[in-house]
Amino acid sequence: MSNTTFEAGDITLEQVREFVWEIPQEGDMRAPARVLASEALLEEIREDKTLEQITNTTHLPGITNYAICMPDGHQGYGFPVGGVGALDAENGCISPGAVGYDINCGVRMMRTNLTYDELQGREEELVDSLFANIPSGLGGGGVVEAGVDTVEEILERGVDWALENGHAVEDDLLHCEDEGMREGADPGKVSQKAKDRGKNQIGSLGSGNHFLEVQRVTDVFDDEVGEAYGLETDQIVVLIHCGSRGLGHQTCNDYLRKIEQQHQGLLNQLPDKELAAAPAGSQLAEDYYGAMNAAINFAWVNRQLIMHRTRRVFERVFDRSWEAMDMHLLYDVAHNIAKKETHTVGGDERELYVHRKGATRAFPAGHPEVPAAYRDVGQPVIIPGSMGAGSYVLRGGEHSMDLTFGSTAHGAGRLMSRTQAKNEFWGGDVQDELEDQQQIYVKAQSGATVAEEAPGVYKDVDEVVRVSDALGIGDKVARTFPVCNIKG
Amino acid sequence: MGFELRDHTADVAVAATGGSLEAVFAAVADGLAACSTDEIPDAGERFSLTVAAESREALLFDYLDELIYLRDVRAELPVDHRVESITGPRVEAADSDADGDDPTADPPWELTATARGVPLTELDAREVKAVTYSEMRLENVADGWEAYVVFDI
Repeated sequence: MSNTTFEAGDITLEQVREFVWEIPQEGDMRAPARVLASEALLEEIREDKTLEQITNTTHLPGITNYAICMPDGHQGYGFPVGGVGALDAENGCISPGAVGYDINCGVRMMRTNLTYDELQGREEELVDSLFANIPSGLGGGGVVEAGVDTVEEILERGVDWALENGHAVEDDLLHCEDEGMREGADPGKVSQKAKDRGKNQIGSLGSGNHFLEVQRVTDVFDDEVGEAYGLETDQIVVLIHCGSRGLGHQTCNDYLRKIEQQHQGLLNQLPDKELAAAPAGSQLAEDYYGAMNAAINFAWVNRQLIMHRTRRVFERVFDRSWEAMDMHLLYDVAHNIAKKETHTVGGDERELYVHRKGATRAFPAGHPEVPAAYRDVGQPVIIPGSMGAGSYVLRGGEHSMDLTFGSTAHGAGRLMSRTQAKNEFWGGDVQDELEDQQQIYVKAQSGATVAEEAPGVYKDVDEVVRVSDALGIGDKVARTFPVCNIKG
Repeated sequence: MGFELRDHTADVAVAATGGSLEAVFAAVADGLAACSTDEIPDAGERFSLTVAAESREALLFDYLDELIYLRDVRAELPVDHRVESITGPRVEAADSDADGDDPTADPPWELTATARGVPLTELDAREVKAVTYSEMRLENVADGWEAYVVFDI
């Protein structure tokens, strides 16, 4: 036993073992909170309200074992970004606030058989063509313009809708969680307002930290798993990061307000109104779960349409079919989601709503919910870095079920506020530097977005991944580095 | 009187003050517009909106939520906000036995406002995803009202 402690203002963390810190249960906390981080990351995490927010999360009824903050954790609203909370699905609750506004915000990676050599010299043409063809920014429309009927179908059927309408191939479904269709989706529980917002945004990146990036594989750390994922050094891949757009944002707010009106008693027990939760078994909990699952489907279709459009862009730029370039989906991971999952807790099987906000599912090899294609090696986990840093592909680690309810980090994690970033960086300079010094071609709707997403505003993704790997919750498989980046 | 944008790691917060409830609501809404874009052109027509909710804070939340919704469906950024009136519950309602706890009754707080809608095509704007309740404050102070609202970016 180690007696090492870490003082962060009013909060004292006790070291459980290397990279595992605990905030002991006291007062109205229903469980301890844990932070998975190196001391270097902890120094950054302590700077904002992350620790206070993860502690607040332990007040949610049904919190099981502990609320957990991932190595990339930072302050969010209510629940911290990088938070995992497993709430009992029978006696606990489900929290729209803890899922967050961008339901099924996530990342997918598509492979190609192109090498970096083949792309060099054509970066500008590619980034221009991607920017011209992939809707981004505010009011940029979507890949498909649809009526509310289409939105209903997408909410109900997810990527299966895309397959039927020529925006996907069968293979895409086999490489997505739940085969791109969440069961229990109930479009009737998504408001008309949410659908009205969604119908003009089907197949669009949005803005903020969302982006599409063409990357090259710089390192493969694990040859066996790398081969199973179809990754090798110098290969070109495409990473897409976006979510459920206005439809998801509206759905979250609709349910926060309903909880406020119908479950004031539970709300009053919570230290932050943004943690608003509906008691398990209540009508509202069922309604929200149906609506959230529908929004999950919407987000999957959104990323699918962007990916399929990207194939078309590559076809034009490289003058051959996407099939000839072997442009297949590696995997799609959600990082704002609550899923009913079965976990072993104290020797018993328990049904839990596992909330992952800014955290990624990371199921190990052999888990029945890992798609057949990857069951022998473990689920792929995609960790995007900032525009000027590497991204990582991990695989679900063998300790993830014991330590984190099968979860790991989701990205680098922000370090600096947007307002501060805009004072320190100018979009044009950031863009020029990336191009001149690192051969990274960036194109954005807004210079402010480039400044706010400058590499310097993020934590060190290498350190985040090092902790994940060392804990065995998500093991390093490969690293990629940006070549072209488009954003809102 | 007015608003300023405050630091928040992932998001942006608006701190606003106003001599009246109407003024502080409008100032927060102007802060929302400022979170979305640095320069506001003169383009666009004014439109009006009404919002109703069960409490003052909920009214502020729903007003900002409605503005974000209208931005997406009208493809316009609402700017230059004017809140014409905010009315609270009628005093006599508390004494009457009619529809006191009826959840289907109209919410007692009501707001009417106008804004100018700048077409998104004329703007270099970024998306504010949503208004949040996180750390929200709406307080009556000596010389009017103060509000603090965090927006999800």
